[in-house]
Amino acid sequence: MNKVFAVIRREFIERVRTKSFLIGTFLVPLLVAAFGYLPQLLARRDTGSKTIVVLDAASGPIGQVIANRLGADSIGEGEGRQPRFLVVRLPAAGRLEQLRDSVVATIGLQDGPADAADGVLLLTEEAVEGGRITYLGDNAGSFRDMGALERLIGPALREERLQRKQADAAIIAAANVRLDLNSTKVTNGKATGQSGEQTFWLAYIVNLLMYMVLLLYGIQVMSAVIEEKSNRIVEVLVSSMSPFQLLMGKVLGVGASGLLQLAIWGITGFYITATLASGGTSAGGPGIAADGSAASISVPVISPELVAVILAFFLLGFFLYAGLYAAIGAMCNTQQEAQQANTPVTMCIAIAMVAVFALMNDPSSTMARVFSLIPLFAPIVVPVRYAISPLPLTEVLLSVVAMVVGIVGVVWIAARIYRVGILSYGKKPSMKELWRWMRTA
Amino acid sequence: MASSVISVQGVTKRYAGHTAVSALSLEVPAGGIFGLLGPNGAGKTTTIRMLLSIITPDEGRVVLFGGAGSGRELSARIGYLPEERGLYPKMRVLDQLAFLGEAKGMSRWDARKRAKVWLERLGLEDWTMRKVSDLSKGMQQKVQFAGALQHDPDLVILDEPFSGLDPVNSQVMRDVVVDVARSGRTVLFSTHIMEHAEKMCSRIAIIARGEKVLDGNLAEVKGQFGKSHVALTFTRNAAAAAGPLADRTLVARVDDYGASAEVQLTAGADPEALLKALLAVDVGLSRFEVVEPSLQSIFIARVGADAAHPAARQEA
Repeated sequence: MNKVFAVIRREFIERVRTKSFLIGTFLVPLLVAAFGYLPQLLARRDTGSKTIVVLDAASGPIGQVIANRLGADSIGEGEGRQPRFLVVRLPAAGRLEQLRDSVVATIGLQDGPADAADGVLLLTEEAVEGGRITYLGDNAGSFRDMGALERLIGPALREERLQRKQADAAIIAAANVRLDLNSTKVTNGKATGQSGEQTFWLAYIVNLLMYMVLLLYGIQVMSAVIEEKSNRIVEVLVSSMSPFQLLMGKVLGVGASGLLQLAIWGITGFYITATLASGGTSAGGPGIAADGSAASISVPVISPELVAVILAFFLLGFFLYAGLYAAIGAMCNTQQEAQQANTPVTMCIAIAMVAVFALMNDPSSTMARVFSLIPLFAPIVVPVRYAISPLPLTEVLLSVVAMVVGIVGVVWIAARIYRVGILSYGKKPSMKELWRWMRTA
Repeated sequence: MASSVISVQGVTKRYAGHTAVSALSLEVPAGGIFGLLGPNGAGKTTTIRMLLSIITPDEGRVVLFGGAGSGRELSARIGYLPEERGLYPKMRVLDQLAFLGEAKGMSRWDARKRAKVWLERLGLEDWTMRKVSDLSKGMQQKVQFAGALQHDPDLVILDEPFSGLDPVNSQVMRDVVVDVARSGRTVLFSTHIMEHAEKMCSRIAIIARGEKVLDGNLAEVKGQFGKSHVALTFTRNAAAAAGPLADRTLVARVDDYGASAEVQLTAGADPEALLKALLAVDVGLSRFEVVEPSLQSIFIARVGADAAHPAARQEA
């Protein structure tokens, strides 16, 4: 047992000492935070007011109304508050195309005048009647600006049409009340205060996390096996301890370093989300919020039960995949060879990750239940389902039992392949040879 | 010499398509240096791996220290230097040795202490905190050598310990091996370099194609080959010696090394008759000595054709 401990310690310390471990441990939270902040930062940076020329070829006051409404909208808060659009209205009846061409010619020039237009809105009689309006601009790809245009112009045109049909002002006001869908996740018959969007992002993050750690640490076990094999250290080691002790020590050592890394990620993750939550940003996923204001990241609710499920299924999944990857490593002579040979195993993790996206829509479907009982897929599927909506304890336990059975089977096979494989050099074994390896006592 | 430290009893190991070791029996008595000799592919490494229970024999059995357990169970008493050298390249030298010591069942603290002593002895005390990959190949071999010896094993098994070493390092290691043997412990090493075995071993076994060709005390082995060997050195015109050496009434067998040769006289032939014949052909004879047969000569005589055609080899 002391020998197993020596292997665990060596594996753990040598791993934690490497630069790549330090970089991975501290860079990943930074990257995650950066990805969370990036939309916000980009949205904030892109804050200059846009100059828009409204070419008004429509009859009546509608052109002026639209110009006023566009000009009244603002972006930013407090001191940073500024108009979203600077509007210039040009009456264009009869010379619309000519004016359009001359304005368009100045848009998007690298060294054009500072007050040149960013876009031109063509307001015609057909636009008012048919609701088809043309905008030409260098910001046509900006969801934020286009969202604002739709949001501001739509009601104005609707009011204009209603007025032209002599509708009552009260009716017009009533017709213009905006929809605001407010979804809230229900857990165990109680509203959680977590929005539907947050639930999606939490499940998404859990999915990616499980995928990443299983792949990362599984491959690390495989590399460690090949390292010992190609350096021929393994020969000295198996003269002093059994191959199973060595395998055990390696898997536990890599697993321990993985847990440490996960713990550091977890703590920094909690810290980051906590600071964000207290920073007063509004809820809503990274994307365009309904009012078109700057996007902010959601702060999902992570329950202790979910953390426990994630950790338990990380450990179970890690043991399962570490066994498979160790067996693959023992079959190969070089890292390059192993990169090809591990494809079937890596595919299993990838399938689970992709399947989860399909299961997210209906996390309690029969298919989701079946996937939760397949040991190769359960380590990803169960935590994601749990993140969406907590599973009954019996279902989780059933899944754990399936995983344990799977692990016992995999370790039994992997240990046999490992025992022979680590001392076999040369050609990669065929299926027939593998079968012989497994049968040799 | 109460009992053998190593007793190999009718051991056979087969791999797909060929037999690496066939019904091999060996007795290695306690103390002294035992040489396991054989051409490449003879089964030396396979035999050593079975001694250490890295692989298990298909037939027969290996008894160590009179039957106290398998090589793995007794690994604390055995030091092993494999033929294929290997260390963790990114690990510090001292950590590496401490780990190898722990694998042998030493406490970590003890292992570090012993590792330091050995690194000093081998002249590597300034390298203890360096990574293994920073060391030259010769230094790495010394580190591994220390790894095999640091836990003071009763039995030291070295697979081709001097291959790939420069003369200076080779001498350092040989001195260490001799020291270990002198302190009453048993050393078994394999080699195909006969000069090393001749200088160091008290007992030898020659194996070829997985079978034992001969074994025993070195002096006895040489005695069996008689005193009928003559060592020759030519300073010119070596080709002219071919005539007298081909005379089967004088010479039974020649190991021709070019500028020198070792010949085995035909039974009852007179060495002086050969001397006269060689003087007659003018080869500038600078050495003519009646000698014990060299191990090299015995090896070639007994293994001969086998050595030229080693059995197809499969590493395992």
